[in-house]
Order: sequence, then structure tokens, then C-alpha cells
Amino acid sequence: MFGRLLWRLLRGNRGRLAVALVAMASGAAVISALFNMQFDVQRKMTQEFRTLGANVVIAPAKSFDDGATLDRNLLNTVEMVAGADVAKAPYLYIVARTDANRPVVLAGTWLNATSALRPYWKIDGEHAPFSSEATSCLVGTNVARQFGLKQGSELRLHYGANEARLIVAGIITAGGAEDNEIVASLPVVQDLASLRGRISLIELRVPGTAQEIQAVADRLQAASGDVRVEPIRQIDQAEGALLGRVRLLIISMSALIFVLTALSVLATMTALAMERRADVGLMKALGGSIGRIVALFLAEVSVLGIAGGVVGYLIGALLTIWIGRSVFGAAITPRVEVLPLIVALMVGVALAGALPLRLLGRVKPAVILRGE
Amino acid sequence: MFARLVGESFVRNPRRILLAAAALAVGMAVTTAALSVALDVGDRLAREFRSLGANLLVTPQSDSLPLQIGGVDYRPVDEGAYLNEADLGKLRTIFWRHNILGFTPFLDSPADVSYVTKSLVTISVPLIGTWYEHEVAVSDGSKFLTGAKFTHPWWKVEGRWFADDAKECVIGAGLASRLSSAGIGGAPVAAIGSTIEISSRGAGRERIPVVVTGVLSTSGPEDDAILVPLSLAQQISGHPGQFRQLFVSALTKPEDAFSERDPASMTPAEYDRWYCSPYISSIGTQIEQVLPGSDARAIRRVAETEGRVLTRVSGLLWLVTIAALVAAALAVAATSAATVIERRSEVGLMKALGATNLMVGGIFLAEQFVLAITGGAIGFLLGSLLARVLGASVFGTPASLRLVLLPIVLGLATAVVLLGSVIPLRRAARFEPAPILRGE
Repeated sequence: MFGRLLWRLLRGNRGRLAVALVAMASGAAVISALFNMQFDVQRKMTQEFRTLGANVVIAPAKSFDDGATLDRNLLNTVEMVAGADVAKAPYLYIVARTDANRPVVLAGTWLNATSALRPYWKIDGEHAPFSSEATSCLVGTNVARQFGLKQGSELRLHYGANEARLIVAGIITAGGAEDNEIVASLPVVQDLASLRGRISLIELRVPGTAQEIQAVADRLQAASGDVRVEPIRQIDQAEGALLGRVRLLIISMSALIFVLTALSVLATMTALAMERRADVGLMKALGGSIGRIVALFLAEVSVLGIAGGVVGYLIGALLTIWIGRSVFGAAITPRVEVLPLIVALMVGVALAGALPLRLLGRVKPAVILRGE
Repeated sequence: MFARLVGESFVRNPRRILLAAAALAVGMAVTTAALSVALDVGDRLAREFRSLGANLLVTPQSDSLPLQIGGVDYRPVDEGAYLNEADLGKLRTIFWRHNILGFTPFLDSPADVSYVTKSLVTISVPLIGTWYEHEVAVSDGSKFLTGAKFTHPWWKVEGRWFADDAKECVIGAGLASRLSSAGIGGAPVAAIGSTIEISSRGAGRERIPVVVTGVLSTSGPEDDAILVPLSLAQQISGHPGQFRQLFVSALTKPEDAFSERDPASMTPAEYDRWYCSPYISSIGTQIEQVLPGSDARAIRRVAETEGRVLTRVSGLLWLVTIAALVAAALAVAATSAATVIERRSEVGLMKALGATNLMVGGIFLAEQFVLAITGGAIGFLLGSLLARVLGASVFGTPASLRLVLLPIVLGLATAVVLLGSVIPLRRAARFEPAPILRGE
């Protein structure tokens, strides 16, 4: 009997219920899209900050001026302490001379690691991985201009009595010191400078907040002894502050939209409940108990809430994927755990919208049925 | 008669009207708040990004190749080209002058530092001349306060910064710790308040006594250097009125496909559009025009990241705003549809009394229109308030009131409400009065 009545009610009010469902589903769609993104957006945003490059530097305790270098084995320690998945690269800097005896800064590093630690480089020419790392070099845009180099040029560099032959694989534009440098493979530079197994510094890209980065730096300092391990404050502070702002912005927009969508749905549901007064009058006149009437309406509203939640979740999932594609260029996977959350939320809102039903207890059948 | 009918329906059922107006106001408040935030976010985040420091580097064009390792130039002082400090005021006269938030000139040179422990000790250190807080006279007569405080906000000093015109210095933290470990027994070397003597590298140069006022930590190459006011560095290195590098912090618009084109290949109209947009490349060009012989280049590490994040965040916010707008519109439309459906019996009665469909529709639409304007206006006020609170909590300063949004919001409210009522009204037009009045 209850089930049949409920079914009848739902069918009989198709028009109004459809309207309420539209309101509900659209609200649920936006809210579930926001929930879905909350999970992913922060990670995606953190990735966007990768372009800032390295955020921790390990250097000799003495300044470069004194010609201090580090042992290459320090890299193993770093890998053990920081983990294998932290991007890192060693650098060895020397001042080499060209054939024309002009001095130029030559940096030796893992050429193929430059895309992780110097992602902001604009390279005209060959990108990592390089076909022949041992003879390739990248030259800064100022170096290229002053020495008249272009992609494919051959370059001879001297250091003391040693000589190295390199082929220009690409031209770097960075807007920094790299514009004035030649970057080649680490072993080549070590051989040229007769500094086998020595490096000037190690750069790392440690993921996480400023505190996490500091913690990794402290552990590295403790493990590596007489060196300086320093987070690049420019990067980690600014990055932390900016990420915080972006996160706060997205969260407060979500909260705002959430509250107001809920209110809109609430308004629709309240309108629906008020409308139901005539039905209530009729049922009361026929001898139905108030409890039963309320139960019937609540059941109806819950069905609506569930339907709105499910439809909204599906639309929201599509919305999430679309937003992910158009903003980040990669789909954000909708989360299944959002579904129960959103259904519960919608049922809750729908039931809250039924609050004016309290008034139904006061309904006088005769007055209502007269149509007043 | 018409007006009375419309007015009557407002008075007769205030609760229903109130509900509809509330739904409308709430929906429009989201719209207003979301739009205000989305409109503002680019500018505000760009300003936040200035905590990363300068995004443009200006160097002399005809410079010899700098031999910079760890941020210190190892070229002899007499080599390479310099820029003129006197031209710096012109930076605040370019087209996008208000977007230039700060600039700091740097002059680095090798120097000798002497101090007394038991005997006189002399060491070689890089000397960097710069501004911390410096007032620049702009050619239009105004003053502009700038310096490392604005372009290098992450620099921290223990003690205090040097005064701009005094014979004072701050020393890098790395250098300070090396010096204090060098001072065996006795007073710590180069402690805050002590005096050291600085001269240009080489024998027989004039030694200038300088008071140490602070210890600087930057986590950069400056940690191993001594920083002095620019004028003092010019005096020591013998390059009065000159500097070598200029860091500029400017508010810019993220690069896009248009800005990445070569300005030389643009048509005059395109060139004007590019020149008058705050792209980093066009601001760089404008700086080159006022500083003769200079080469301004974007610091890609900062500019790239800024551009990417800004594009992403504002794209995200716009999409969320649009989604919220659609949801709010649907919810409001649903509410107005509900009110029209609810009043079918009224429609039946009117038609039974001889009202035409046009008349009935007119009355309802007029009612909804009044509702839309009131609800929309209230929503706009609420939303502006909300945007202020949001702006204050996220960025620390409240968002400004945007009156431009008022007509947009009102128009939107009207459109949404009319859209919501048209469908049920069309259906109402087909009603036969009799069954409705019977209550079926």
C-alpha cells in the first residue's frame, strides 16, 4: 500500500518532480565536480610548479672561489637519503678557453637530466635524450651569438693542455646565467679539467611543502658531513605561499558554490513541500494519520534526492573530465567515493527542504480543500 | 487593472514570492561572487607571484661574455660594458610603467677585504653593490621607492640593512660563518658592528673602512659575498654611475600564441596590440627603448612557471564559474517553474473569466520580471559582499566592487526567470479551465 501510494505520488507529480530533479541534479553535478577536483587539483598544481626547477642545492662548505669540489660518491648518499625518485643532477663548473683563447664557463652535468631540473630552458635544436651524449653540448644564447655558433657547429675547448671536441646540439634561452654557459656531459668536463670523480654541486628537486623540503635538506646535511645543503629559499617559500593561495582560492570557491547550490535546492524542495498541502488535506480528510503522511512525503523526497544525486554525479563526472582536459590537458579521474557522499548530501538537503512539513500538522482539511 | 493584478499576486501570497526571490537572490549572489573573483584572480595572483622576485633581467647589449659561476662574475672589472644608473628613472615613464613594481641594479666586482685579528688579514671576496630601499627620481618629478626589498623579497637579514648612502655593508651568511671560524680566540671577526676595510682587488688600492650592519642569508651566491650600497661599490670599483645587471619585477600577462610571434613579423596593427599588452616581451622591449644599449630578457624560470600556473588557475576558475552559473540558473529556473505550475488553478480561473492566453502570460511574466530585478539586485549586493570577504580571506585585500557586473547579473536573472516560466506558461496556455478548476 505504502509503495503503491509512493509510486502513484511520483507518477502523478511528474512535472513538478522533474523540475525539482533538474535543480537538484545540476547542483549535485557542480558539487561532485568540485569534490572530484579537490582530490586531484592540488597534485596537478604542484606539478605545474615543477617548471621552477631545482629547490635544494648541495655545495662544498667553502665557496667556489677557493676551488673546492665535492666527491661524486656523494650522489649515492643523496640517493639513499632522499630516495631514488627525487630528480637530481651533479654539476661541475670550470672556465675553459676556446680556440681563440676566449674564456667561457663550461658546465658538466647529466645532459639527459636537464629536462627535469631545468624545465624552463627553451632549447632550439635537439632535446633530451641526446643521441650521443659524449660529444653533444648545449650552448647559451649569448655564447652562440658571441662565438657565432649554431646547431651542428663544431666547438673545441681547451683547459690547460687538455682539449675537448663538442658538437652543438641546441641553443639554450633561459634568461639567466645559463645564457652565458656551455653545457656538456659531466665525464667530458671532468676529463677536460682532470677532475675525475669531482663535482662542484648537486641540484635536487624535492617534492612537497617548504617544511618537507627543509626536513629532507636536514637529513641530507646530517648524512653528508662537511657540505652545505640549502633549500633555495626563493623557490620553496614562494612556491609554498602560492600553492597555499591557489588551494585556498579553490576551496573557498567550492565552499561558496556548495552552500549556495544547497540553498537553491532547498528552496525548490520547500516549494514542493508547500505545494503538497492540498494532498495532505485530502489524505487527512480520508482519515490518514499525520505520521503516515509525513513518512510518505519523506520517502518521495528521498527518492528524489537519490535520483538527483546519481544523475548529478554522472553529469559531474563528465564535467570533471572535461575541465581536466581543457585546463590541464589531462583528464581528472572521477572518484567513486564521491558518489555516496553526493547522494547522502542530496538526500540530506532534500529532507531539510521538507522541514516546512511541520506546518502540515496544522493543516485543517476543510480550509485546504476549499482551495484557500 | 494589469498592474493591480500583478501587485495583488505579490501581496496575496508573500511566502511564495519570498521563497522565489530568495532562491533568485542566492543564485545571483553566487554568480556575482564567482564572476568578481574570476575577473580579479589573474591580477591578484600575478601580484602574488612577485614573491618569486624579478622576472626580467636587463644586461648591457655589447657585453663581453660574463664568466659567472655561482652568481659571481669572474671577469676583470675593466672588461665588459656597463649601463648608466642615471637612466633608471625612465623605467617609470614607459607605457606599462604602473606594471613595474620594482627594479634593482647590481654591480659586482672582485674585492679585497681586510680586518684585524691578531694581525692584519686580507682575503678576496666578491663585492656586490645594490639598493635595498632607494628612492629614484622619475623624470616626471615623482619619486619611486625600489630596491632588493621589492625584487628579492626572500632575502633575510640579521641585524639591519645598510643605509643607502652610508659606508655600511651586510655580509653573506656563508662568508660570515667562515670568517668567525677563522678568528681564533679574540673578538669574532666581522661581527655586526665591527669595521672592515674594503678595496678593489690588487695591491696599493685605496682601502675604505665600512661598518658591518647585518648578516644576509639568501640561500644563493650572495651568501658568499659582501653587499654594499651601489654608490659605494661604484666608488670602490671605479665605475661611478654605472651598473651591470638590472633585475625588474613586473606584472605581466601570461604568454600566449600571439605573444610568442616575432614582433618584427607583425603587421602594424598587430604590433600595436602586442606593444600595448603587458606581455613580458613587450615590457622588455619598452625597457630596452629607455635604457640605451641594454638587452632585456625574461627570466624564464620565473616567467614560465608564472605563465603556466596563471593560465591554469584562471582557466579552472572560469570553468568552475560557468558551471556554477549554469547550476544556479537551472535552480532558479526550476523555482520559477514551480511557482507557475503551482498556480495552475489561478490560470484556470482567469481563463474561465475570459482572460486570453496573452493576458495571462503577460501577468505572470510581469510578475516574474519584477521578481528578477529585485532578486537580482539583492543577489548582486550579497554577492559583492561575499566577493569582498573571499578576496580578503584568500589574498588579504578585499576585492573591489564591480558595478559592471550589475547589468550583467540583472540581465541574467531576467533571462533565467523568464526561461523558467515560459515552458510551464506555454503548457498553461493549453489548459482547459474546467478540469483545472475542478482540481484535477
